[in-house]
Amino acid sequence: MPATLLELVRISKRFGGVVVAHDLSLSVEPGAAVGLVGPNGAGKTSLFSMVAGDLRPDAGTISFDGAVVNRLGPAARCRLGIGRTYQVPKPFERMTVFENALVAAQQGAGARGQDSHHRAFASLERCNLIDKVNREAGSLGLLDRKRLELARALASGPRLVLLDEVAGGLTQPEVRELVDIVRSLRAEGTAVVWIEHVVRALVGAVDRLLCLAAGVVIADGDPVRVLDDPAVREVYLGTELAIEGTV
Amino acid sequence: MSAAGELLAPSAIDGTGFTVRRAARSSGWLLGFAAALVVLLAFMPALVSHGDTSLLVNVFVLLTISTMWNLLAGYAGLVSIGQQAFIGLGAYSVVVAAINGMEPFTVIPVAAVVCGVISIPVAALVFRTRGGYFAIATWVVASAAQLVISSITSIGGGTGHPVPGLSSLAPGEFANISYWSALAVVVVALAATYLLLRSRLGLVLAAVRDNEDAARAAGTRVTLARGVVFVLAAIGCGAAGALLAVTQLQVEPVAAFSVQWSAEIIFVTLIGGMGTIEGPILGTVIYFVLQQNLAQHGAWYLIIVGTVAVAVAIWFPRGLWGTVTRRLRFEFFPVRYQVVGPRPQDSGSPT
Repeated sequence: MPATLLELVRISKRFGGVVVAHDLSLSVEPGAAVGLVGPNGAGKTSLFSMVAGDLRPDAGTISFDGAVVNRLGPAARCRLGIGRTYQVPKPFERMTVFENALVAAQQGAGARGQDSHHRAFASLERCNLIDKVNREAGSLGLLDRKRLELARALASGPRLVLLDEVAGGLTQPEVRELVDIVRSLRAEGTAVVWIEHVVRALVGAVDRLLCLAAGVVIADGDPVRVLDDPAVREVYLGTELAIEGTV
Repeated sequence: MSAAGELLAPSAIDGTGFTVRRAARSSGWLLGFAAALVVLLAFMPALVSHGDTSLLVNVFVLLTISTMWNLLAGYAGLVSIGQQAFIGLGAYSVVVAAINGMEPFTVIPVAAVVCGVISIPVAALVFRTRGGYFAIATWVVASAAQLVISSITSIGGGTGHPVPGLSSLAPGEFANISYWSALAVVVVALAATYLLLRSRLGLVLAAVRDNEDAARAAGTRVTLARGVVFVLAAIGCGAAGALLAVTQLQVEPVAAFSVQWSAEIIFVTLIGGMGTIEGPILGTVIYFVLQQNLAQHGAWYLIIVGTVAVAVAIWFPRGLWGTVTRRLRFEFFPVRYQVVGPRPQDSGSPT
């Protein structure tokens, strides 16, 4: 296994005058848990979209597990082991919760027959959705949609999971449940990159924090140190640090 | 994949006590009922007049093409308004084969396959477009096919061509063979659709229907799945076109390639419920009931049909069957997965 799982080299992307990535380089090791913070419009979700294949960078290369994946679409990248969740959950609304996970198990992980059933079931069990397996996904509430989003990503057998604000809008016990799931992923050697506005959730779950502003990484390293960084406070945190301190 | 195993038997999820089933408890006997209905329909020529069986031929043709369109638009997200291209090409495949001395009824499967082959380069062309542009592109293909066929004088040009080789059959015999051929085509189309939707590809299509982006993110090869559906729909529409040729004895480009087909298909599928197997069946029945009872009222017939379409679109956006299946969680053709637990569903693991 290569020393780096995901490697971005000098990625640039702009939408008209808005720069979402400027000469951005970063790498993620297998099994690492990395948090990604930054103000709105910093380019966090765009970065995910470029890694997952939904968006093509204007310049730079993206490598996964030693191979350049720039030209691959999202489905091919999922099959390689990049799983993603969407900020606004996108369940298959008319399918059951089980079927949602089964699609990822069969297509993303390439599992067949009973093996695919088992894989889908295990991911749902992990995300506490077993009592809702036969529910139509469109009838789920926000917490369950977020759980399903995560379960579907896990069912595809990822080596890297991109979590886009899975904790947003959830209560503290609900956030804690998600943090536990992320910790267990890490324990298994699955790398996680997690975008989150709820900073307290991140600090407990990641061992490295990146701060992005205007398409540039302005801080990278130990979460507590990054949050103390004056540059990070200036562009982003200011008020949030106080909240973090009270939790 | 153990196809038969995955299709029929409940399968246990090892070590959990849970089982995965593909049918609601009530659906087994309903499938039996469907089989009995097919047997009953097979004996129809002995029970009703030739006028009634020829009406049923039209019902089966419309149901076949609507079922194909439902796969395209209801599952694969391909809203085509050009399926008449393959209806016309299927019909003309029969004409060409019959001119060359082949027996028209036996050519129906061949015509279907011809349409499937033609659809491959067509897919390569129209798949470059999306949404509304795709719809228009398919219509352009259908119109182009009509113009090409109309310019070939050896098959009658713009005025059309009779289907030779059918005059040796007695009228009664001809009506019966027409009916059974149409019944065979519609049963094969529905059975193939059912099996397709129960397969791995069916699960993919349901996912694409619900959310294309999420389907890709879950590893689904959306374009490949769409390509397969496009070819299958061309095969089904080709078979329906071939049926029209043999049952109507005469093929004309304006009628065979008419965009009217697309209007009827869309009406039937939307009324019944897009994205369900049962929807087009219910829609076809409603369409013919309206037609048989109102056709003599001229313009009022069209006004009522239009009003029904608008009313369903407003109050039953999932179509009539779509509303039934959502409220009652009931499927005539069970394609869904159901996880059956060792304990009651609502007292599972803590949330």
